[in-house]
Amino acid sequence: MKGYVEKLVIGFSWFSMMTLLFAVASIIGYLCLKGYSSLDVRLIFGDTSALDALLLRKQVFNGLFPAMAGTLVLVVMSVVWAIPVGIATGIYLAEYANARIKGVFNLFFDVLAGIPSIVIGLFGFALAVFLHKHFSRTIQPCLLLSSVALAFLVLPYLIRTTQMALEGLPESTRFGALALGATKLQNIYYVLLPKSLSGIMSGVILAIGRCAEDTAVIMLTGVVASAGVPRSLLSSYEALPFYIYYISSQYTGPEELLTGYAASIILLIICIVLFSAAFLIKKRLTYIAFYRT
Amino acid sequence: MNTTQTGNIKIRVTNLTFSYKGRRILDGINENFEEFAVTAIIGPSGVGKSTFLMTLNRLWENIPEAQMSGKVEIRFNGGLRDIYERSFSSSRLRKLVGTVFQKPNPLPMSIFRNVAFPLKLSGEKDKGLIAQKVEGALRKAYLWDEVKDRLAQSALALSGGQQQRLCIARSLILEPEVLLLDEPTSSLDEKAAEVIEDLILHLKERITILAVSHYLDQVKRIADRVVQVDLWQVRK
Repeated sequence: MKGYVEKLVIGFSWFSMMTLLFAVASIIGYLCLKGYSSLDVRLIFGDTSALDALLLRKQVFNGLFPAMAGTLVLVVMSVVWAIPVGIATGIYLAEYANARIKGVFNLFFDVLAGIPSIVIGLFGFALAVFLHKHFSRTIQPCLLLSSVALAFLVLPYLIRTTQMALEGLPESTRFGALALGATKLQNIYYVLLPKSLSGIMSGVILAIGRCAEDTAVIMLTGVVASAGVPRSLLSSYEALPFYIYYISSQYTGPEELLTGYAASIILLIICIVLFSAAFLIKKRLTYIAFYRT
Repeated sequence: MNTTQTGNIKIRVTNLTFSYKGRRILDGINENFEEFAVTAIIGPSGVGKSTFLMTLNRLWENIPEAQMSGKVEIRFNGGLRDIYERSFSSSRLRKLVGTVFQKPNPLPMSIFRNVAFPLKLSGEKDKGLIAQKVEGALRKAYLWDEVKDRLAQSALALSGGQQQRLCIARSLILEPEVLLLDEPTSSLDEKAAEVIEDLILHLKERITILAVSHYLDQVKRIADRVVQVDLWQVRK
């Protein structure tokens, strides 16, 4: 009887895993199949030459290059805001907070994690209006504002993964350096953080993906259909997810719709590039923490 | 207590009570430990042998929901000193009271960096001095000859017995006056354990050693004195 139930559970787990694999494969396969045909240099750079566009000598008017640049800058900026705050908060919760404070803050961050992105976008928009009214007329929805709003969106992931990674370390790891006379801070810096880098990394990757994908927040805080390569932090910008969104809702012909698929492939590639960069940085950091002499 | 002690008292424990999550583990313990001797601490599992060691290096302070009362004094520079005094920082204490755990716990770095790690924590920058002290500590731990040609290799590639001696060397590099060993050979094979026992007997000339052990024959071989923790509980 027990063997039968066990087989059933294993079978179901296996089936679930296969479903997931199939889903991922079919999504990516479908995208590639549809988008492949319209994916070429003209789609990215339009009528401008690639070199001129990359060196920012000429603006690209009918290509995806500005949206790619916008997304890249936006994601990097958001993650750069969110990482120090998220990791520091995670450290505080795991290592310093007492049980009561921890309970309260955990609840707060769960609530923050549960806030729909459109609400965060609305908040960003309200902030822009407030700043515009009370501080300077030049402030409007812009790249800086979007990146800050996105940082708030992904903060809970970073906090939670950092906290979990630190709390998951076994006591033997925790006590090793302390027994050698390390202060609490030295222990965190030299041992606990380097040992949790892999865990923290999964949070960073989640954050990158979320920032690259989100449309609701940026729609309300600064993204526009046509702005060119972002020139300043205080200007509006283009982004790939927004391009995909409006192409799919306002396309004029099947050709144009296909560019949406191509844009999706480019967005995926940008994510992969960022993930790889994050992974390399993690490897380098681990090396510096443990092996550099 | 034990009235037959002849040497200098190195550690004096007075009325020590320890509880974890409201459960009392150690209750009103009074005990003295002699200088330059190996004291074996024995008793069945779960009576608080390791916990007792943690009250001597204050490591328990990092465990939530743990509580201690009583007094622990250790003789440093001639006078008994209350280690829980406010002005005595736990990191300073742990440089004087070294600890080696049951399972070897080298950090995932090179052999050299592992042994030099405590010096790095103390802010030592002089590379010549560090190299000299690392060699000294490895020699004291009977490990130098085995690793001198591969100091830059990862410590994790060493055998269990070598890793444990590496951890002992790492504790010795700060020249502690007391060494706490929490079942230092229980994860090792017989031969590796023998080397470590030999090492312990050699170290006691300069260091006061408290060792938790499960093996009675080992205790017979290394200990000058045996303390049975479960009898403490009865004696209260």
